[in-house]
Amino acid sequence: MGKRRVGALEKIDADLSNLQYKIRRDPASYKDDLQNQYNQYETLRDLFLQNPSTTDDSGLVSFRDQIEFVAHVADLYPTITARFPEDLIQLLSVHHEELETELRDKVVGSLVLLRNKDVIDSPTLLNTLFPILVSTPSRTLRTLLFIKILSDLRSSNAKATNHKLNRTIQTVLYNLLTDDRESSKGIWAVKITREMWKRQIWTDAKAVEIMKEASLADNEKVIIGGVRFFLGGDKEREEAADESSEDDDIDMDKLRHQAGINKKTKKKERELKKAKTIVKRRERKKNMPHPLNFSALHLLHDPQGFAESLFSKHVQTSKSKLPLDSKLLVLQLVSRLVGLHKLTVISLYSYFLKYCTPKQASVTSFLACLAQATHNLVPPDVLEPLVQKIANEFVSEAAASEVAAAGLNAIREICVRQPLAMNDTLLQDLVMYRKSKDKGVMMAAKGLLSLYREVGAELLRKRDRGKEATMGLKAGEVKERRFGEEALGEIEGIELLEKWKDEERRKKREEQGLPPDAAMDEGEDEIEDWRNWDIEEDDSDDSGGWINVESDGEDINISDSEEEKEPPAKKMKLSNDGSKTKKENSKSVEPEVKQISKLATTRILTPADLAKLQELRLANSITSSIPSAKRRAALAERHLDDPLTAAEIEAPGLLGKKKTKEEKIAIAKADREEHHQSTTARRKEKMLAEGKSTTNKEKARKKNFLMTLGKARGKQKRSLVDVRKTLKGHLERQKKGGRRGNRG
Amino acid sequence: MGSSAKKRKEKKKDFQKPKLKVGKTKSKAANFTDTSFKAKSIVLTQQSLSMNAPTVAAQCAHHLSLLTHKSDSQRRESLAYLTAAIAANPLGTALPLPPSVILPAVQRLILDGSNGVRQQLLKLLQSLPQGEIASHADQLLLHARAGMTHLAADIRIFALDILEWLIGVAGDEIVSCAGGWVKMLKCFLGLLGWDNDTLGKWSTPKSFGKATGDAKIQVKQMNALSLFLRAGLVPPHAAVSLAAGGNSFPLWETEHHILSERSSVYAHLNLFGAPRDEEAEMYEDREDRQKVFYDRAEAAIVAGIEQATKGGGELGRAAAQLRRVVKEGMADYHGEEIEV
Repeated sequence: MGKRRVGALEKIDADLSNLQYKIRRDPASYKDDLQNQYNQYETLRDLFLQNPSTTDDSGLVSFRDQIEFVAHVADLYPTITARFPEDLIQLLSVHHEELETELRDKVVGSLVLLRNKDVIDSPTLLNTLFPILVSTPSRTLRTLLFIKILSDLRSSNAKATNHKLNRTIQTVLYNLLTDDRESSKGIWAVKITREMWKRQIWTDAKAVEIMKEASLADNEKVIIGGVRFFLGGDKEREEAADESSEDDDIDMDKLRHQAGINKKTKKKERELKKAKTIVKRRERKKNMPHPLNFSALHLLHDPQGFAESLFSKHVQTSKSKLPLDSKLLVLQLVSRLVGLHKLTVISLYSYFLKYCTPKQASVTSFLACLAQATHNLVPPDVLEPLVQKIANEFVSEAAASEVAAAGLNAIREICVRQPLAMNDTLLQDLVMYRKSKDKGVMMAAKGLLSLYREVGAELLRKRDRGKEATMGLKAGEVKERRFGEEALGEIEGIELLEKWKDEERRKKREEQGLPPDAAMDEGEDEIEDWRNWDIEEDDSDDSGGWINVESDGEDINISDSEEEKEPPAKKMKLSNDGSKTKKENSKSVEPEVKQISKLATTRILTPADLAKLQELRLANSITSSIPSAKRRAALAERHLDDPLTAAEIEAPGLLGKKKTKEEKIAIAKADREEHHQSTTARRKEKMLAEGKSTTNKEKARKKNFLMTLGKARGKQKRSLVDVRKTLKGHLERQKKGGRRGNRG
Repeated sequence: MGSSAKKRKEKKKDFQKPKLKVGKTKSKAANFTDTSFKAKSIVLTQQSLSMNAPTVAAQCAHHLSLLTHKSDSQRRESLAYLTAAIAANPLGTALPLPPSVILPAVQRLILDGSNGVRQQLLKLLQSLPQGEIASHADQLLLHARAGMTHLAADIRIFALDILEWLIGVAGDEIVSCAGGWVKMLKCFLGLLGWDNDTLGKWSTPKSFGKATGDAKIQVKQMNALSLFLRAGLVPPHAAVSLAAGGNSFPLWETEHHILSERSSVYAHLNLFGAPRDEEAEMYEDREDRQKVFYDRAEAAIVAGIEQATKGGGELGRAAAQLRRVVKEGMADYHGEEIEV
């Protein structure tokens, strides 16, 4: 009725975008048009295939347009355009080298479009694009394909991990690396894997396996790509995660406030709603348990084999053609593997022997690697010549102060990891350098001294040992740890928890009127535990009890210093008055052999227990404000995964160095803004940036003075009302203390 | 305005005379522009420095290269020049450029946007010697087909003109070249809106879409279709005189054993090209063509003719002609079927 529908159709004249728009609205009616256009596309394709390298513009433009058009509507006519994706794939994979660039990019874009419309599936697309990525000589095409491949991998992993796709792609990448170890094509496998790792899409051992193959390749670029991944890939991942969580904070309060003030439009309403959902989603994400992401170094299947083959293939043999920089990178990886997994690669240490001279280029990196490769299972007699050599070459009066400081620091770093690598004469010699005039050398020597006060005081001369170590030696409680000996493992703060539990039980028994020290009946206790399984529940009914403990807090604090030595079993003999006995107990200095708490081995710790444990630990952490404890905490903070760098070896050497004026200024300025601005100016700038207008007052101030002349009146001519207003305002301001008040 | 001292001074400055001094060069005017330049060499791309005029062949080559020029009129003029050069060529002598050079450069212009260029192109094509067209027929046919499905209506009409000319010049090659028969039939069916699937449904509006928009265009399309079918289905009359060479005694039926005179005799074997499907296959025999026509198009065309005849007028007349061609072409095929 009414309008003739055909009329609109006649308007389509050489305008594909118009037709595309109409097809989208009503696919069924425009089937004929699509068929015609598809025929046209096929004819053009036939024409084009006669001479694919043609650069003739007019024909190509129409072909390009046809491809784009068909790609956009292909999902609506699956039967007519059934062969379209295959055609494009064939066109691209056979002729990608000779196609004109714009057409080539259009074909790639159309294929991705088809993938996004679910006309073809991800594996088809990736299996098409990847071989071209690897083989094409064109740089622009490579970047385009790389971007497209990555984005497709990301989008197909967006909702849920697409294990099947990931596995196939990983296999393709793995095969690419292992098929031809000489070629530089493997760099694409490295690049893709690294990007996927960074975005936490691939976090499994298979990705690490790919990188392992890459680092064992024969092509330098590929090797370095793989090695760099192991050295820095995890840090990159963490940074990327931090970045993504930080971007654009939404201030919900501000938005709500604005919604109350500004004109209410549908758009604003929608925006508010959207912001709300985003905030909610983030909240939920924050509350979700953090996904366990193992670092690449931990996911390696056979670290020993990997480290050995890396070392023998790229570093040890004279056949390896790697330049020094690359070799150092590989060496860093090897030494980190050795240090982290406590591997045994004996030939590694003798290799270092050659490079430990001050003349060697980037020797600090070598020293850092050596220290990194040391751990407590390395035989001391392997390390001893190295330490001796470093001492001879670096640490002497003749050597420059930086060199000596670096040498001393390197020795310290080695001995932190394996204290047995040192003998007493050498140590006593080295410790003498703490009297050095140079600050860096002095500090490094002091570092060594304080280290051995803790780990091997008997190697030091008597007067160097210090009070604590001497007393400890006398009492016989400080013992030298022998080779291969390991410390006993325990849960930090478990004895605190045990004590707290005891106390709770006693209280309960007192309430019930039973003797508090009677033998505990485990069953009842355990039932109680299971009842309080959940953390929330526990918090609600236990909070009172916790406050009770807090109220006599001072004795808890006092007892803290002794706590570790206090055996929980002792508690059973204590008398009725808990707090008093505790005081006595804490003051008694009787040496007690530390016992290991049995709690964790006899009982299952409920989540409520764990939460309590955390609480107790925090309350107990008052000792941590002591400087030495602080330092120790900082050391403990250093994660085992973090590498030891050349900069850390060089650090004490820089202590004595005088800074230039520029450096000093730069350091002083570091945490300050560039130029000072008044708050008013800053406010104004902000208003301007937000596209807001000026106030009336400001406008009046800026007005041309000639224009205001006519209206300007003298003080004398004011009306009575105006005078009163002025006087009142003056009084008001005096009360308030100025225009802006006394607030600040 | 102009009351302030500054403004007055500025105004005065415009009319101050520069002081000239003896022995000094004259100062440059305020609006002087320095036009001098330095160059290591000057290359004149457009101008020929040779003393004698270029040959016709060279000029033709130049004009061929101008066919990709962005201006319509330039393309049209170049085509006109080529047409004139070919027409001026005395009979019996070779063309200034061989058709194998001219045709590939020219055929693209079938899809040209400007009407003038296309009309001139048709003139050029018609002026070419007819015997030379046959070997390029498949290329020309591809372009003509691209034109027939073009989005712009006037290009679609023009492509029909080209097709008619092509059928007249090299009808046999066209229907037997690769993809020439089936794809063309499909194309025609699409253009006329006689597709198999749409015909079955009674609810589809017949005059829908621009594909079958104008009765005039439809008449033209049907005429072209009937020409095409005649070329493909109706047996040529010349073939009857086969027995002429039958009595050269020692050699019997030599004409069946010697190589055909056509170009690329073994093209149907498709030794080097991409594999073909049914649509792109070559149908060299009339029987093959008849069979495919019967399988794929006849029902649709007959139904379409039926509908068009009902319309009457010019459309009806064209339909009647088309029906005659179909009957004539398929007579023996149906006859055989009945016999078997």
